[in-house]
This record gives sequence, C-alpha cells and structure tokens, in this order.
Amino acid sequence: MMTSSKPVLAISAIAPIVLLAIMIVFLLGPASTFLQFGVVLPEVSIEKIEFIENEIQATVRNTGPIDVDVVLADVNDRIQPAAIEPDTSLKRFESALVRIPFDWNEGQPYEIGITISDGTRFAKGIDAAFPALEPNVDLFVFLGMIGFLIGVVPIMIGLLWYPFIKKLGKNTFNFFLAFTMGLLVFLGIDAVIEANEISENHLSSIFNGELLIATVVILSFLALYGIGKQLTKKIEFSKLSQGLAISLMIAIGIGFHNLGEGLAVGAAIALGEVALSTFLIVGFATHNTTEGLAIAAPLTKSKAKIFKMIGLGLIAGVPAIFGCWVGGFSFSPLFTLIFLAIGAGAIFQVVLSIFQYMKEKSDILSNTSLFAGVSAGLIVMYLTSVII
Amino acid sequence: MQSSFQSTKMFYILLAIVSVSSLYFVVPGVIIAEETPQTFLTHTGLVIKTTGEVIDPIGYDGEALDFDPDKFMKEFDYGEISVLEDGTILREFYITARDDQIMEISPGVFYNVWTFNDSVPGPTIRATEGDLVRIHFTNEGSKPHSLHFHGIHKAEMDGVFESIGTGGKFTYEFYAEPVGLHLYHCHVHPVEEHINHGLYGAYIVDPKEPREPADEFVFILNGFDTDFDTENNFYAANTIPFYYQHHPIEINTNQNIRAYVVNILEFDAVNNFHLHGTLFHHYPAGTDTVPSGYNDMLTMSQGDRQILEFNYKYPGLYMFHAHNTEFSEKGWVSSFLVKENTDDYDTQVEYDDII
Repeated sequence: MMTSSKPVLAISAIAPIVLLAIMIVFLLGPASTFLQFGVVLPEVSIEKIEFIENEIQATVRNTGPIDVDVVLADVNDRIQPAAIEPDTSLKRFESALVRIPFDWNEGQPYEIGITISDGTRFAKGIDAAFPALEPNVDLFVFLGMIGFLIGVVPIMIGLLWYPFIKKLGKNTFNFFLAFTMGLLVFLGIDAVIEANEISENHLSSIFNGELLIATVVILSFLALYGIGKQLTKKIEFSKLSQGLAISLMIAIGIGFHNLGEGLAVGAAIALGEVALSTFLIVGFATHNTTEGLAIAAPLTKSKAKIFKMIGLGLIAGVPAIFGCWVGGFSFSPLFTLIFLAIGAGAIFQVVLSIFQYMKEKSDILSNTSLFAGVSAGLIVMYLTSVII
Repeated sequence: MQSSFQSTKMFYILLAIVSVSSLYFVVPGVIIAEETPQTFLTHTGLVIKTTGEVIDPIGYDGEALDFDPDKFMKEFDYGEISVLEDGTILREFYITARDDQIMEISPGVFYNVWTFNDSVPGPTIRATEGDLVRIHFTNEGSKPHSLHFHGIHKAEMDGVFESIGTGGKFTYEFYAEPVGLHLYHCHVHPVEEHINHGLYGAYIVDPKEPREPADEFVFILNGFDTDFDTENNFYAANTIPFYYQHHPIEINTNQNIRAYVVNILEFDAVNNFHLHGTLFHHYPAGTDTVPSGYNDMLTMSQGDRQILEFNYKYPGLYMFHAHNTEFSEKGWVSSFLVKENTDDYDTQVEYDDII
C-alpha cells in the first residue's frame, strides 16, 4: 500500500494539469471558432510621453487581446508624420516608440494620439510639456538630493525624539507606541491610495492594477510576518533586544514605503507633472519626520546605541534616494505600484508586531492610551498630509 | 521552527517569482537597432532619422489604390444614351449599392465603406437640362438603401420613404432639372451613418447651351469617422487624405478651370474651400449663369455645392485646402502645379460682359 502510493500520488498530482492543458489546447484549437462570439476590440496604451528637442516621443504598448498595426500619429488630433521603432506591427504586450518631429512649446498642454489600421484612435494628454530630463551627473545629484531631503533628513530629525520618549512613564510610552501604530496605519493606507492613483493614471487596465495592489500587499504582509517570526526567534539566542527587532521591522517597512514614494516623486519630476517647489519638499519632510518617531519609540525600552539608531534611520530613509533615481531616470508605473504595495504590506505587518509587543510587555494594556495613541497618530498624519 | 523557516523560504521564492515575472511587462520591448538609421523627409518638411518605420500619410509608394482620386476627378458618367420618340434624350444609369467592402482610405487605414458602384464617392452622374434620367438601382447590400437625388422631381422619385431592401431593385426616373451642380445620396435612416460610410455622389445638370470650355474637375469634400465617435478622423477632397498634396493636379497658366465642389461632410456643420494664388468666380449650386462673387474662400454647409471658375496668372505650386486648418491637417489639403503655358492659349472666359 505504501509503496504503490507514490506513483499514484504523482499521477494524481499531474493528471489535473495534463487535463487542463488538453482543455486549453482544445479551446484554442478546434473549439476556437465554435466558441467565438462578440467583438474583439483592440487596445493600445500610451504609457509615456517625452518631449525632447523638436520631437515628441510616445511609448505605446499593445494591451489588447489582438495584434495591431500603428498607422498614424497625431498631436492634438492633427495628423503628423512620425517614425515608429522598431516597426508598426505590435503583437500582444509588445511596445514601440513613436517619434513625432514637432516644435512643441514648453508649459503647453498636448494630446498625443495614435491610430491603428482599423481607424481606431487612442490618445493620452499631458498637462504641460516639459523637456525630458537628460540623464547626467547634475540630474543624478539633484534627484539624490531630493531623495535625501524627503527621506533621510526627516527620519533623522524624528529620531531625535528618542531621549524625550525614553523618559516617559509606562502609559505615556504605550501612548507613543500606539501613536506610532496610528502613523503607520495612515502611511499604509496612503501607500495603497497612491498605488491606486498610479494604477488609474499610468497603468493600462490589462494589468488589473487594483488586484495587483491587493495581491502584493498581502504577499508582502505574509512574507514580512514570516521574516519577523524568524527574527524574533533569533533574538531569543542573541543579545538583540525585542525592541530593536521591532524597530528594525519598522525601518524596513518604512524603507519599502519610501522606495515607492521616491519612485513616485522621481517619476513626477521626470514627467514634469509637478512643479517641484520648496513648499512640496517642506510638506514631504514634515510628513516623514513622524517616520523617525515611529522607529525611535520601540527602542526606548532597551539600550540603543547612537550608531544603531542612525543605521535604522538609513535603512528607512536611503531607499527614497534610490527611488528618486530609478523613478527619475526610468519611470515604470508597474514597479512603482509594486513597491508602494510592498511598503503598505510591510507597514501593516509592523503595526501587528507593535501591537503584539505592547500586549506582551504590558500586564494590563491600557485601552485609553492605545486608542488615544492610534487616533492621535492618524490625526497628526492627516494634518501633515494636508500641508503637502 | 523548521517549518516556519521553510515557509519564509517559500515566501522568498514566491516574491522572487512575482518580481521576475513582472519584468516581462516592465522592460520595454527589446529594440533591435539596425546598423544604419534611415533619414526621411516628411510632407511637413521635417526630417526623421529612424531605425524603424515611417508612418506618414504621404501616399502609396506606387502601390495601386483602392480608389484613384486623379481618375475620379475627371470621370463623368453620361449614361447609356438613347433618343425617345418625342426627341427627348434618355440617359440610363445602373447603380448598385453595397455595404461589405473594406477600403484603404488612408495608408494603412482600412475602413468598411458602403459604396455606389464600388466607389466612394459614387459615379458623377451627368446629364443635360431636359434629358430624361433613368436610374436602375440595385441594392446588393445587407441593409436597406436608397437613392435620393437633389433637384426637381416627383415625390415618389425622391428616394426617402421607400427604402430598397437587400436584393431589391428600383428604377428612379425624372427629367434633369434645373441646371446646376446637385447631389445624390442614400436617404435611409440613420442618414448620417449611410453618408459617413460613403453612399453619395455628384449629379451635374448641364445647360442646353454648354458652358464655356474649360478643364473640369470634381471635388467631393468628404471625411470618415473611423472610430465612430461622431467626429471625423479624416478629411479629404475626393476621399484620400493628403492625396493631391503629394500628387499635385497639373494645369497651365491661363487655362480655364471649372471645379465642381460638393460638400458631403458629416458631423462638422461647416466646411470650406480656400484657393491660393488666384481667385475664383463662384456659382452657388451652379444654377445661375451670373457668378455670385469673386473670392478665394468658400464656406459651405452640409450638402452645399458650388461651381468655381478660375485660372492662374503665374506658374508654380499652389495649395487649395480647408481654411478650417483642423480639416486640412487631417487630410483636406491639396495642390495645383501650374505650368507656364507656352501656347497662345486663349480660352479664358470673359466675365466682364456677364457681370
């Protein structure tokens, strides 16, 4: 019985897959004409529009169910001669670069359209033409500075609350931990909303942006939950304190969040979608200072060394710099969305960790400080977000 | 402990799979650069240097057209002529409607055209005032169609209330009146759709006393809404966008030109016609012998017609186009190439004695 069960097991594992494969072949082959009904509509997405000297470049992708031929390009619904690289035919998911010689004016809105062989036109608008950034050292330094200013500096400033929180009593300390939870819940929701905006504005519907966000958030949550468990177990044998482990988890979660945020900011700069003012930087910085507080809070019940704190701050903040670089030099809506979603999942996991930590450490968990803390955290985040 | 480590590993693997597979969508299609980029001069005078293909509605690289605007503009269908007992000239025409054809209306753009005699526009029907016009109409389309002629005729010959079903036949009969440039089109509801798809043509009634000799061209100002958003994607004089811009119509200085201009544009309330380098005398609907103006601009509403008479003093390349530049930038832009007339070619119409 035991010996024969292995091949049987193997067959029972493989059989459904084989049958499914046969069904797919049947559906695509002999049954395809029989099952065809309705009209199959082509779809082309204009993913990116860039303005270079005397030329407008549009990256187009076939996001529909059938192959298409791009036959015309237009600017503001006026037919323009153009080139398309590598060629006019676009298979499913294939992308091409449409280059339209055009003497565009900076700051003016434009709509770029393409027409495919059945006469269907697809278009995308740009609020204000803005010269595409040239990848050079200046831009590299500029984007790095932006990332540093919105990521690293505010977190470091937030960490300076450490001595203050350390001197607090148990209830007040719990309040601050709960406050951190509030901050993080807000950040997580913020990341999901931001990811959703990117999905709506930049990602073609074929990617199912909303479902992708949900999938990645949950996967990231589960993955970090597993890592967190491992880390906590290791701590039992090492001299690492649980507080530090939680702080590290928070820093990693915020790091992912800042990577996504950096990607979005870098992309916004590169696409010329925002007039990046000092005011906006101030807003981001204020908002992100609270992230430093979130990292500092769990550390207060252990002896944290200054360089460890700086290390944690860098883990959380530096990804913003990388995000700005990647987003600024090659914007990919899909990557930005994925990183924002990973950040959200990570942050939700951290919230759970803090809650468990509080439950363990406190004999009687004060509901008042928990609720007050979470509420205060949410409100502070909302108010700082209004400034942006 | 072992199992939790396993599950962590599983998550890593899962994450790796997700991120790697997402690369497929993120990384732009691999562009295989050809060794030498080619340089193209576009019809707007701009230069494109590319390793890819050029998409420019410039013409057909010598490939045969589904429709030849050069041929169409000079082709008149006078019908099968016979003389009735009372001396009246009978002109019989055979027109078949279809709605299943696909035509390349602009390079690379394939559109389901509905046709009279396999052509958009349909044939230019031409008769002389007082002739009996008999049109044998057959509908080979899948939808009901009809022939509605502008002009003076009996109500039952109006082609509006009696649509002809699939496979149906009908004979329209009327006397050619009045003199002028008229129009015919399908009048089956929704008319806008039947016209946008191409069921129309010009109908000319010549005066018994012929007009002054001139070179005659027909220009049907039309358009196509290829994505059915009730806005035209393409505009043209004689169907093919930008055609005469790249195939200028060759004429001579001091050569009299008579243009029969019909506006059958749908969706846009007004179309217009602007001639460069000279002015024309124009006759609304061609019904009067006295021109109603001397101008280089014509504004025409849907269904309007005008006969234009002009000649060029100087040789060169002259544009004529919609002064509504949106239309011209979507195809309704054309040109005359005027050559120096070396012969003493004096067929110029003297308008002075008419006005």
